[in-house]
Amino acid sequence: MIEMLQQFFQFDFMKRAFVAILVITPLLGILGTMIVHKRMAYFSDALGHSALTGIAIGVVLGITDTNLSMIIFAVVFALLLNAINRRALAATDTIISVFASCSTAVGLAILSMGGNFSKYSAILVGDILSITAEEIGYLLVIFVVTLIFWAVAVNTLNAISIHPTLAKSRHMNVRLIEDIFAVLIAVIVMLSIKWVGILLINALLILPAASSRNISENMREYHLYSVIFSLFSGVVGLFVSYYTNVATGPMIVIVASLIYFGTYLFGKNR
Amino acid sequence: MNRKMHKSCFVAILLSAIAIVAFGSTFFYWNRQNRTEEEFTIVTSFYPMYIAAENLTEGREGLVLKSLSEPQTGCLHDYQLTAADMKLLSTADVFVVNGGGIEEFLTDVAAQYPDLVIVDASQGLELLEDNGHAWMSVALHRQQLNNIARGLAEADPEYADLYRENYGIYDEKLKDLEQEQQEFAGDLAGEQIILFHEAYAYVARDYGMEVVYVMDLDEERQVSAGEVADVLRAIAEDDVKIVLAEEQYGKEMGDMVTRESDAKVYYLDTLVRGDYDKDSYLERMEANISIMRGLAK
Repeated sequence: MIEMLQQFFQFDFMKRAFVAILVITPLLGILGTMIVHKRMAYFSDALGHSALTGIAIGVVLGITDTNLSMIIFAVVFALLLNAINRRALAATDTIISVFASCSTAVGLAILSMGGNFSKYSAILVGDILSITAEEIGYLLVIFVVTLIFWAVAVNTLNAISIHPTLAKSRHMNVRLIEDIFAVLIAVIVMLSIKWVGILLINALLILPAASSRNISENMREYHLYSVIFSLFSGVVGLFVSYYTNVATGPMIVIVASLIYFGTYLFGKNR
Repeated sequence: MNRKMHKSCFVAILLSAIAIVAFGSTFFYWNRQNRTEEEFTIVTSFYPMYIAAENLTEGREGLVLKSLSEPQTGCLHDYQLTAADMKLLSTADVFVVNGGGIEEFLTDVAAQYPDLVIVDASQGLELLEDNGHAWMSVALHRQQLNNIARGLAEADPEYADLYRENYGIYDEKLKDLEQEQQEFAGDLAGEQIILFHEAYAYVARDYGMEVVYVMDLDEERQVSAGEVADVLRAIAEDDVKIVLAEEQYGKEMGDMVTRESDAKVYYLDTLVRGDYDKDSYLERMEANISIMRGLAK
């Protein structure tokens, strides 16, 4: 057993992957609480898909670091969605769906030019082992930013999610806070998408928070359990995936789903 | 309060249950895998080495033969080892490489895995300077096979006889190819040629041809207008009639030369891509030789 654990940390890339998990899963856990609370699951899913477009734009413009073009595009996309949402021409999910499909289609069209899509298919499933020390640095920065934002704005966000009009009448800057929140989601989703994969990033945002919601009774518990579940799924998923040669993203999501079903049963029988 | 305790208790039990099942089953899986890993694993660096090892190890029971790079990767210049590669190498008993500087990552590998037996196929071969494409010469490839067979026999003494026997059979076939080359090599000797891939320097040497200009066109090469002019000037000055190029990366340049000059462009195979068919080297070298035979006439 000990020999097995030694093997786990034998390689630098596993150490990096482990640190990345320790940084990003709590982050996704925290953000997820408010995404679930504000019913924005579809929004974050659409953001994930916009990563394809971000990469495509980077390729077209000849930017070597597609991280940059992905983040810029996602931020613009998130703000745009918010702005259009406020006009409320149609139901939110319809608007998001229209924009998400459009941007995904553009991304796929560009990336598949010349039959080259296979080069980018890795981003669909993700590869945690590709994470670099530099990217962990970015993650740490964004982690600190998120904590600060949370400390300042969590009550406002909560108020907005319960009753936007009432929040506005209390002189809360609904627009600004919502936009900052959307940008934060965009940046974090883009930074983690390379190793979780487009298909599953949303699961990692939603599942821990949803599980926590099943059993918690107040905001403090809600946050605490979400972070615990997220971190736990990340570490166990990474561990299992390493030894069984399964992609890491799916393994983490499987563990997170198990937790969800467990808490669901507990919540139901309470 | 009681209920809260109840809940955290539940969470603790749920998580530990998942953890125990996950770690436990992983442990069993890993244990079983480790036991089956008592087989002998040979990893080759890229295509020509894979085909060579495939021929030499035919009939070795419990053998795992894997190639580091995909068969479509081509030459390994600037090849970056991936995490999967490192993991694969950590399970390997023998690592067969072409050597001669083709595998630039080799020093890193040797440092990471001091116990890994590295068989350098080009050891003791007379290579051209800064050019490790030794498999392009049948004569040199025969020596490479000899090196690999010896390396394998040493690393896996139980099957040493098998490797020697396989080597004998395969070398016979390579010898035929070499004889075929020699039949008309004299007709090509002294002919002036231009190469669009440095691997063909070995072909030129085999036939005694004189290389007047080399432009190495590969995956990442961008050609400037000045270089194109240099090529055309070299063709005109020495009245070069033959250009050897590679289909995948030299085609555009080759078409240009055909249009702009009297020289003819011939496309040889660099033998670095293909399927896992064990006769691949023989068949494709044969094709190369028949192209060269056409030149001799």
